[in-house]
Amino acid sequence: MPDATATKSRTNSTEAIVTIDNFRMDFGGKTVIKDLSFEVQRGEVFGFLGSNGSGKTTTIRSLLGIYQPTGGTLLIDGKPFNVASGTKLGYLPEERGLYKNESVIDVMVYFGQLKGLSKTDAKQRSDAYLERVKLTDKAKTTLGKLSGGQQQKIQLGITIMNDPELLILDEPTKGFDPVNRRLLMDIIEEHQNAGATVIFVTHQMEEVERLCDRIILLKDGKAHAYGTIAEVKKEHGGMSLDDIFISVYGDENTEQDHTHEEVK
Amino acid sequence: MHNLGTVFRFEVIRSLKKKSFWITALSFPVIIAVVVAVIFFSNKSSDEVAENAKNEKFSIAITDASNVIPETISSQYEAQRVAESQKQATIDKVSNGTLDAYFYYPSDLSRDRVEVYGEDVGLFNNGKYEAVAKLLLQQSVASNVDPQTTAILQDTVGFSAATYKDGRQFDGIKELIAPGIFLVMFYFLIAMFGNQMLTSTTEEKENRVIEMVLTTIEARVLIIGKIISLLVLAAIQAFIVLVPVLVIYLLFREQLQLPSFDLTSIPLDPVRIAIGAVLFLFSFLLFTGMLVGIGAASPTAKEAGGFFGIAMVFIFGPLYAVTLFFSQPDSPIVRFLTFFPLTAPIPLMLRNAIGNLTTFDVVLGIGILAVSAVVALSIAIRMFRYGALEYSKRLSLKTIFAKKTL
Repeated sequence: MPDATATKSRTNSTEAIVTIDNFRMDFGGKTVIKDLSFEVQRGEVFGFLGSNGSGKTTTIRSLLGIYQPTGGTLLIDGKPFNVASGTKLGYLPEERGLYKNESVIDVMVYFGQLKGLSKTDAKQRSDAYLERVKLTDKAKTTLGKLSGGQQQKIQLGITIMNDPELLILDEPTKGFDPVNRRLLMDIIEEHQNAGATVIFVTHQMEEVERLCDRIILLKDGKAHAYGTIAEVKKEHGGMSLDDIFISVYGDENTEQDHTHEEVK
Repeated sequence: MHNLGTVFRFEVIRSLKKKSFWITALSFPVIIAVVVAVIFFSNKSSDEVAENAKNEKFSIAITDASNVIPETISSQYEAQRVAESQKQATIDKVSNGTLDAYFYYPSDLSRDRVEVYGEDVGLFNNGKYEAVAKLLLQQSVASNVDPQTTAILQDTVGFSAATYKDGRQFDGIKELIAPGIFLVMFYFLIAMFGNQMLTSTTEEKENRVIEMVLTTIEARVLIIGKIISLLVLAAIQAFIVLVPVLVIYLLFREQLQLPSFDLTSIPLDPVRIAIGAVLFLFSFLLFTGMLVGIGAASPTAKEAGGFFGIAMVFIFGPLYAVTLFFSQPDSPIVRFLTFFPLTAPIPLMLRNAIGNLTTFDVVLGIGILAVSAVVALSIAIRMFRYGALEYSKRLSLKTIFAKKTL
């Protein structure tokens, strides 16, 4: 198995958009991430894999400054992330939700403006996205009246509205039917082709096979595997990603939802 | 801060779209309008009853054991005078309906009551008997003394007073008005918008939108944008409340028997007004910070609402010592309430309006409020920042202050 730290030597640090070095996170005296180090290269689709509770979301939240890490450094474009740092970020969190009492278009335009778009531009982009995901007729509907899947599409639209350089998607296909999952995959590919870096948290190995250049597998807060898909497969005797996942996490209940609160 | 305007517009517009905002805003003028209408028609009805009673003739008999009422007065009311021995027989006449009213004036009016008997003419009209019995006495006394003595006895002598302070005329009540407006504004804002401040950030938590917000906008920009939007909404609501009140006052002042008020007679002390404005600003920011912080630390709006009472204790508690603010401004309790940050707003603004704050009190009070406001807002932002992901439980102070940076 390629060690995460050792594998770092295969990456060109000058091209790294995300650098995580010796990241450690304790919650309530319990260490949930242990000295995690890896890099994400500019322009790649990076698969962030692991069972529920393995520390993926904690790592993402710490990278984005939502959590304060116990130790180590987490950098985007060479500096700790803050909203004024200039990196165009698109983040679809694991916890889904929007202003439920406001209309779809109002919320999309609001977030578009917060992301630096003019009101007109935000409106045009929102209209175009709604048309693409066949929700134009819901533009003036309040978000609380949409189905969960429809709300998720709106949230994805907000995430990508500013053509982000770095797109972080935490289990974006959770709750999507196959049609919408295909749509989402297409959107991710479009952004990758446009030069965006994508960090993709998922349990779906077919999505990983289709989209990811490199992956990292977290287990118990540590990097279990890290490298290109071919390298990881080779390290596991040529097994498929599904089989690797089962062999690594087979003794865990992956349906459990270990949220931050439960970890604490 | 470049997103401040976007947050402000979003918050104001979505509040203006809410039915609850307009129900709250319009309920006050509607209640005022209903009360005014009731008073208006009640006054009109009372005037009509009084006018009818004045013109109405009814048969009266009197027994004057006091010898106060002369014939000349009783004859004006066509009152039949009866001997004391006829008292019961006359009461019987009233009882059987052959006489409308009978008044018995005892020999010692200072000790015994005047007895009034009358035929029932309805709850509101029955009062006319006692009114006429009293009128007979008043006119009888007035006929024996000069008008000045009458005025003194009837307590209708007018007074005008002038008091002086620091070499100039000083009307304590009128002096209260201009600087006291800030105290009224503070109570209005907290009463009308306190709960909204408390729950202003819980929506982001309850709707799980907080992660997207925190990675898109700085927490302090969001909080400040929300606070400014609340101020503007308060101004809109105040406008909605005050305009009907002014219109009613200007158009119906006489009908409602409201006192005439000359605005030009209100003294304007620029120093105390400026101090009042500064005290108001920091007091508002202090309580806003406290309420937003409590809301940010609570998992739901419902739970946050339970803490509103705490803020109210600090706002209304000092009023129990209000007489001391006037009479003993240097007492230990007044000084404690004046300089303890959470109780300071009310004593400072009230004492500024009264005019018994020393320069030292003003400087110290403003300093305490300013520092407290900054600390409260910083803690509120920190609570929002770090309480954001505590979706299902209340944030502890240990958790907030264990965080190293914002």
